[in-house]
Amino acid sequence: MTAPPLRNRRLWLAVAAVFALLALPPARAWLEATMTRHMLVQMPLLVGLGFALGHRLPARLRNRLLARAGGPLACLTAASFAATYWMLPRALDAAAASAAADAAKFVTLPLLIGLPTGLAWRALGVIGRGFVWTNLVSMLLFAGWLYIAAPVRVCNSYLLDDQAQAGWWMIRIAAFIFAAWFAALFAGRRRGMMAMRGRRPAAPPRRAGLLPAAMPPFRMQ
Amino acid sequence: MATPPPPERGAHAGVVAYLATSAGVLLLMMVFGLLMRAEQARFVSLGAQWFYQLMTLHGAGMVGIAGIAGAAIMWHFLNQYVALSVRILYANLALFVAGVGLVLGAVLVGGFHGGWTFLYPLPSHSLGLWSDGAAAAFLAGMLVIGTGFLLLQLDVARAIVAGYGSFARALGWPQLFGRDDGRAPPPTVVASAMVTVVNLIALVVGASILAMMLVNLYFPEFRIDPMLAKAMIYFFGHVFINATIYMAVIAVYEILPRYTRRPWKANRVFLASWNCSTLMVMFIFPHHLLMDFAFPKWMLVMGHIIGYLNTVPILVVTGYGALTLVYRSGIAWDTGSRLLFLSMFGWAAGAMPAFIDGTIRVNYVMHNTLWVPGHFHTYLLLGMVAMAFGFMYYIAKPSAKTADGLADRAAFWAYVAGSLGFALAFLYAGKESVARRYAEHLPEWVPYDRIGTAFAVLIVAAALVFAVRFLARLAHARGDQARAGAPQGAAA
Repeated sequence: MTAPPLRNRRLWLAVAAVFALLALPPARAWLEATMTRHMLVQMPLLVGLGFALGHRLPARLRNRLLARAGGPLACLTAASFAATYWMLPRALDAAAASAAADAAKFVTLPLLIGLPTGLAWRALGVIGRGFVWTNLVSMLLFAGWLYIAAPVRVCNSYLLDDQAQAGWWMIRIAAFIFAAWFAALFAGRRRGMMAMRGRRPAAPPRRAGLLPAAMPPFRMQ
Repeated sequence: MATPPPPERGAHAGVVAYLATSAGVLLLMMVFGLLMRAEQARFVSLGAQWFYQLMTLHGAGMVGIAGIAGAAIMWHFLNQYVALSVRILYANLALFVAGVGLVLGAVLVGGFHGGWTFLYPLPSHSLGLWSDGAAAAFLAGMLVIGTGFLLLQLDVARAIVAGYGSFARALGWPQLFGRDDGRAPPPTVVASAMVTVVNLIALVVGASILAMMLVNLYFPEFRIDPMLAKAMIYFFGHVFINATIYMAVIAVYEILPRYTRRPWKANRVFLASWNCSTLMVMFIFPHHLLMDFAFPKWMLVMGHIIGYLNTVPILVVTGYGALTLVYRSGIAWDTGSRLLFLSMFGWAAGAMPAFIDGTIRVNYVMHNTLWVPGHFHTYLLLGMVAMAFGFMYYIAKPSAKTADGLADRAAFWAYVAGSLGFALAFLYAGKESVARRYAEHLPEWVPYDRIGTAFAVLIVAAALVFAVRFLARLAHARGDQARAGAPQGAAA
């Protein structure tokens, strides 16, 4: 379904405003001062802006772009490669130390990770999205451990305790995402929620005639 | 007078492929188990290295194939209530085969023999007995198998939410916490929802520890807390193997009512028991960590208490349900229904040694003895595997009137006697403090091993008959014919 143009315009304005806010030198300086804020606040926000753009594009344009890009799997693969680069501590260091690398980060995170993921999101289907979420959770747990267990500083720009703190936050975020994802499964679709409140009948089984539950009542011999 | 059963649906080709794979791999793993017991009994001389290689394959293979057999049962019946994806069904099997290939390569070519539990830091400390590459292939194989099951469970989650609105409804919360309107989801849906919840969590934790250990293998300076690693591995492994029986028990819920012409309804007690177990299955694993005194005390206490509590809900509800279903029903027994009914006994009896071992004072003495293999062999051989073979017998039955042959009846009783004798040989040896996971046994221990080996031969022979019978009747598995014989006094 195509999003209403007015809503889209507001969304784009909001995306542009947040992007500009993040790019302001004081905001950059504050967010990049600690590894936790740099990795777990600034970078995900940049990805999120690209995602919002891709996700909320008018359906026809989104589908055309998605087809041009090679479909949801190609988009996800491209996003994974870009994300792999930005997961390297070396890349984080470069962004903290060099203005050019920082500028590249501001361009590539929304456009190479967020946008393709946003374009592909609907087309991925429930299983694909579930796979992305569960993979994100296990990778956050894994990366969190990596940052806690590393015996040396992985970034020159950040201290060892800052690194460990970032690791613990990754684990907390993984737990939160997983819990939220499960809560969504339990809350379910709107139809399910309404049925839970008794407004609509329960969803009928697909092949009612074949079910043991639909068997006629038994009588004792 | 009883009423006729609903029409039967044949198995999908994918389910048949799962079952055929299960029959073959189960048989092969049983042969590996027999060889291990024969080695301990000094009937054969494989050497310690081969013993541990077989032990690794036997453990990993049995856990994996129990998952595949359980998934086949769950998929077959759940697909009658919600629309599952056939492509995902095949993808899981393909990933399973790929993962098994990696595991086989790791063990048979690379010589990896760190056990299916791959406890940290053993895979990276082989003392030259296997390479890092072999350990990595084993861990990667487990990761690939886990990815396949993750996809399958995600598809089940998708289908349940699409069909029933939410997991809360699929677990019967409106009926459990509100007014029971008699419209609770059928047992198959409740069980599948429970399995999906616990397996998704277990698989994510499993993937995390496997990735961590793979990094540690090549960069040992990235150390893992061994206690954390053990907890994560046991959480993953224990929940996964538990989930296999919760998937397979769907066969009991679906098939026994067809034989007895009595419905198995999800009432409030049933829903409460499955909901309780959804939580408890995830907190029971510390009963494997009771010897690790360095673990937080609350975890050990939790393992002890939940170990006691978890034995009760589903088991009692299902066991009692099966008894009331069969009692005076005039059921026409055949090998399929016998195996399914036997599985109730196996599940109940197999839980008891765990119940005892879950007591901290007992655990200190018993946990590293053959008592524990006694527990899980009872639980799996007479419980989970009996359900899988029972389903195979049922689904491949040419018609409701097909009578069992002498070979089937003999195989059933050989399987019962063999499994009981085999498990009791383990349990008695455990009581006598025979250590587990030892390739070579003291002379005083060998008599128990010899008795166990003799019973293992019986099991393998019986399983061979079951597997051959299933494979010979494979063509009938896809038909929609009625399979359950009418109970006495019922209209045919």
